[in-house]
Amino acid sequence: MLSVANLTKRHPGSARPVFSALGFSIAAGEIVALAGESGVGKSTLLNCIAGLELANTGAILVGPQAQDIVRLDEAARAALRATTIGFVFQAFHVLPTLTVAQNVAVPLLLGGVAAGEHAARIEALLGRVGLPGFGPRWPGTLSGGELQRVAIARALVHRPSLILADEPTGNLDPRTADEILVLLLERVREEGASALIVTHSQHVAQNCDRILTLTPDGLQ
Amino acid sequence: MSAPRWQLSWWLIRAQFQTRRTATALSMLAIALGVALGYAIHLINDAALADFSQAMKSVQGEPDALVAPQDSAGRVPLALINQLARDEAVALVVPVIETRVRIGELTVRLIGLDVFSAGLLMPDLLPRQGESIKGGGLFEDGMYASPALLARLQTKIGAGVTAMRGDARWSTHIAGDLPAARPDDLLLVADIARVQAHFGPADAVSEGRIRLAPGTKLTAWLNTWAGKLPPGITLRAAADNQARLSNISRAYRVNLNVLALVALLTGGFLVFATQLTAVAQRSTQFALLGVLGLSPRMRLMQVLFEGLAIGVPGAVIGLALGWAMAAAFTRLLGGDLGGGFFSGGTPAIVPELLPALGFFALGCAASLAGALYPAWLNRVQPLAQALKTGFAQRPPSGRDDALRPRAGKAIALALVAGAALALTRLPALFDLPLAGYGAIALVLVLGIAVAPLVTQMAFGAFARRELPAAQRIAVQNVMQAPLMAQVAASGLIVSFALTVSMVTMVASFRVALDQWLDVVLPAPYYVRSKGVPLPPQLLAALERPDAPFARVERMAAGALNLDPRRPTVAVLVRELDPANPGARLPFTGEILAAPAGAIPVWISEPMQELYRLKPGQTLRLPLLGREVEVFVGGVWRDYARQFGAVVIGATDYRALGGKFEATELALWPHQGGEAAARDWLAREASRYGIEMAEAGEIRALSLDIFDKSFAVTYALEAAAMLIGLFGLAVTLAASVWLRARELATLSALGFNRAMLTRAVMLEGALIAAIGLAVGLACGIAVGAILTHVVNPQAFHWRMELQIPWLQVLPGAALTLAAGIIASRFAALQATRLPAAQVLASAQ
Repeated sequence: MLSVANLTKRHPGSARPVFSALGFSIAAGEIVALAGESGVGKSTLLNCIAGLELANTGAILVGPQAQDIVRLDEAARAALRATTIGFVFQAFHVLPTLTVAQNVAVPLLLGGVAAGEHAARIEALLGRVGLPGFGPRWPGTLSGGELQRVAIARALVHRPSLILADEPTGNLDPRTADEILVLLLERVREEGASALIVTHSQHVAQNCDRILTLTPDGLQ
Repeated sequence: MSAPRWQLSWWLIRAQFQTRRTATALSMLAIALGVALGYAIHLINDAALADFSQAMKSVQGEPDALVAPQDSAGRVPLALINQLARDEAVALVVPVIETRVRIGELTVRLIGLDVFSAGLLMPDLLPRQGESIKGGGLFEDGMYASPALLARLQTKIGAGVTAMRGDARWSTHIAGDLPAARPDDLLLVADIARVQAHFGPADAVSEGRIRLAPGTKLTAWLNTWAGKLPPGITLRAAADNQARLSNISRAYRVNLNVLALVALLTGGFLVFATQLTAVAQRSTQFALLGVLGLSPRMRLMQVLFEGLAIGVPGAVIGLALGWAMAAAFTRLLGGDLGGGFFSGGTPAIVPELLPALGFFALGCAASLAGALYPAWLNRVQPLAQALKTGFAQRPPSGRDDALRPRAGKAIALALVAGAALALTRLPALFDLPLAGYGAIALVLVLGIAVAPLVTQMAFGAFARRELPAAQRIAVQNVMQAPLMAQVAASGLIVSFALTVSMVTMVASFRVALDQWLDVVLPAPYYVRSKGVPLPPQLLAALERPDAPFARVERMAAGALNLDPRRPTVAVLVRELDPANPGARLPFTGEILAAPAGAIPVWISEPMQELYRLKPGQTLRLPLLGREVEVFVGGVWRDYARQFGAVVIGATDYRALGGKFEATELALWPHQGGEAAARDWLAREASRYGIEMAEAGEIRALSLDIFDKSFAVTYALEAAAMLIGLFGLAVTLAASVWLRARELATLSALGFNRAMLTRAVMLEGALIAAIGLAVGLACGIAVGAILTHVVNPQAFHWRMELQIPWLQVLPGAALTLAAGIIASRFAALQATRLPAAQVLASAQ
C-alpha cells in the first residue's frame, strides 16, 4: 500500500540531507509506528509521503495504483491525497467555521463522492468514533478528545487506503490519549486501511504491528 | 468544478462572510459606491445628451447637412441657398432665420421659416391654427407660440404680442400654437419673410437645412462644395452637431469618471486588505484543505470566488444605487452634471442593458483585482509550513530582499519615476489627459514600492540605538517591513496622496480663480442681457449727462464656428484701449503690438491650446461673413469659457463693418454716488428684464459655484482617508493576530499588558508616519500633475501650484492620531487573550 525506495531529502541551502536512501514498505492493512528523536526528520518523511514536500531522489508508491507521488505534479498530488490518504494531526486541525458534519464531509467533497452518500456515511462514522448526533455542533463547543475523534472520522470517511498520523495523541491527557489510540487503531483496522503513525510514545508504538525507528543513520 | 466542490466553496464563502461581517460589508459598500458613481454619471450624461439632441432635432428636424455662417453675427446669402437648391443632389433646402427677441422681460427664440419646405423637414415646428395643422397652408400674419411660452407669458392665442431686438420691434398677435414643441421650449415661429422684414437680415438667412436626394453620398457631396463656398460660410454634416454636443462635456465627464474610478479602486483596495487578512488568518485552514486534497488552483480560485462574492452583490447594489442617484439628481438638478453644460431640462433616465453590464463587470473586475494577490499568496503557501506555523508573509522564494534594495530594484524604481516624468511631458491623447492619469498611477506605484526603502532609511539608525524593550520590538517589526505593514502603509500612502493632491489642486485653482476675478471684474457694477442686444433706450439713458455713472464700458458676445466638431469659440467685442489691453485682460505673457495696419486680437489660453496658436502670428478669422486677417497680440487667462474666446476691440470691429450691439456693460458710478447708481440700475434692469450684479456678488457667486462643484471631491477625500485608516486598522490587527504567539511569548517573558499595547501602538504610529510622509510627497507630485498636466489638457485651465500647508499638515497630524487610535484596536486584540492560552494552543 506504501512503498518507499531510496528516498533522499535535503532542505534548500543545507549541505547535509535530512535523510538519505531510505527504503521501506507497508502492506495493505498493516499499521506501522514511526519513532525517532526530535529533529531526525520523521515529520519531513511524513510530508514527503503525503506529497507536501518533495524528496530529492527516490520513489514513493502510494495506494492500490502504486502511484509515485514524487513524480506527480502538485495538482495530481492533491488529487491523490483527496482519494487515497487520510490524515490525523497532533493539533486536530478541525475547521472552526464549519460544523462537525461539514468538517467530516470535506474529504467526501474533495474526493468527488456522490452527495447522496454523504449524510449516511458521516452519521455512521460519527457514531463509530463516539460522537453520535454531534453533526450540527460547532468545533468551538468540543473538548480536545472530541476534536480528535472528529479528525479521525474525517480521516476515514472517504475510505482511504493509507492513514498518515502525526503524533495523534500528543495534545491529549493520558486517559484520553489511550481512548483515542484504541479508537484510531480499531477504526483503521475495521476499514482495512494501512497506517503510518509518527509517535514519541512507546505505548502507541507498541500497539502497532511494526515499529520503524528513524535515526540520523537511517531506518532501523 | 464539480458540484461537491461548489458546495465546499460555498461553505467557505458563507463562513468567511459570517466571521468577517464588517470588513466584508465595507468592501461591498465601497465597490457599490464606485459602480454607483460611475453608472450615475453615465446615466445622467447619456440622458442629458439624448434630451439635448432630441431638443435639437425637434427644432432642427433631421437634415443631412447644414449651411451656416461661422460667425454668429454672419448670414447665409439667399443666393447661396438658391444655388444649393438647384444642385441635382439636393432634394430640399429649408431656409431658416433664427434670432432671439425680448418679449417683456423674457428672452425668446424666434424662428422664421417657410412653411411649405419646413413641413417636410421640421414637422415639430408646424403651427396649429384653430384645429388644423398648417402643413401646406400659409402663415397668418402673426406669431405661433409654444405651449410653454403661452403658459409663461400667461397669454392665449389671439392676444397681442410685441417682440423687440435692439431697436427693432414687431407688434402683432399670437396666431396659433406649436402643438409638437417640447414641453420646456420657449419658442416662437413665424413666416420667414415677416421675420426678415422686422428683424432682418435682408437677402440672407441664418441657416439652410439640407436634405440630399436619395442615393447621394454625403461626404462626397460635401467635398464637391468645399471650394465653392463664400468666405465665412460652412457646409457641414448635421451629424457633426451630435459630436460637438458630446465634445462639450467630454473632458468633464472623463474627469468625473476618473473620480468614480478612484472610488472603485479604493473598493478594490478594501477587498485586497480584507482578503489578504482573511487569507492570512485562515492560512492554517487553507493549508489543511490543501493537505486533504484541495488543489493549488482551487485554493487560488477559492479566494477569487470570495472576491467575486463581494464584487457581484456590490456591483448589483451599485447599479441600483447609481440608477437611484441619477434619477434623484436629474429630478432635483436637471441633466447638468455640475459643469454647466446641459442645464435647463429634466431628462428621463433610461437604463440600457449593455452599459449596465459594463459597469457590473467593472465592479466585479475591481473586486477580483483586489483578491488577486491574496489568492496568489494562498496558492503558493507552503502547506506543511503553513499548517505548522501559520501564514508565510513572503512568497516561498526565501529571498529576503525587502531590506536590501539591490541595484535591479533601484533601477526599476528609477525607471518608474522616469516613465512618470515622461508621461507628464506627453500631449493630450484624443483631447484627454490620458498620459497625465497614467503618470498619476505611476507616482502612486512608486510611492508604494519605495516605502520599505524609506522605512529602512528612516528607522535604520534608530534601530541601532539603545531603546526600551517595547520601542525596540515595534521598531524591529516595522524595519523588517513584513507584508502586513507594507499593505497598511500602502493604503495610507494612496489615500493620503489622493487627499493631498485634491486639496492642492483645488487650492491652486481657487487662488488662481480669486486672482483672475480681481482682473476681470474691474468695475463695481455689471449688466447683462440674455443673448439679445441691450435695449437702445437703456444705452441712450446711460449716455445722458444725468446718468449716475462716470464710466461705461460695453461688450458684445458672439460665437465663431472654427471647427464643426468642436464647440464654438466666443468672440468678445470690447471697448478697451488697444494700446493697453492688459488693463482689462489678465495676460499670461508678453503683449505684442500689432504691426501697422494689422487688426490686433487677444486670444484666451483655451483657444491657444485647442487651435495651437501663438502670440505674434496672424490668423484668418471668419468674421462678418468674410475671412479677416488678424494679429494675435497676446494670450489671456480665461476660466469662464473652456472652449476658447477671442477679444477684438470695438473700434476695429466697427471699422470692419460690424454692428456693435452691446450685450454686457461694466459700469463705474460717480464718486460718492454709488447708492444712487445702484438704485438707478436696479430700476432699469427691472424695466428691461436684464441682469445686474455688483462685482462682489459675481465674485462671491463664482467662488460659491467653484466650492460647490468641488464639494464632491471633499467627500471623496474623506472616504479615501477613512478607507486608508480602515486598511491600517485591519492589516495591523491581522499582523498582530499572526504574531499572537510571539506576543504571548513576550508576555511570558515579562512584558506587561501596557508594554504590549505601547509596542503595538508605536508600530501603528511608525507605519502611519511612513505612510503619511510618502503619501505627502506623492500627493504633492500628483497635485502638480493635476494642476500642470490634467487641468490644462482636459479643461485648458492653467494656474500656479499652491500647496495649502495649513490644511495639509493638520490633516496629516489628525490622520496620524487616527492611525494611533486605529492601532489601539489592534493592540487590544493582541492583549485580549491570556498569554498562557495562546502559548498552549497550537496554530
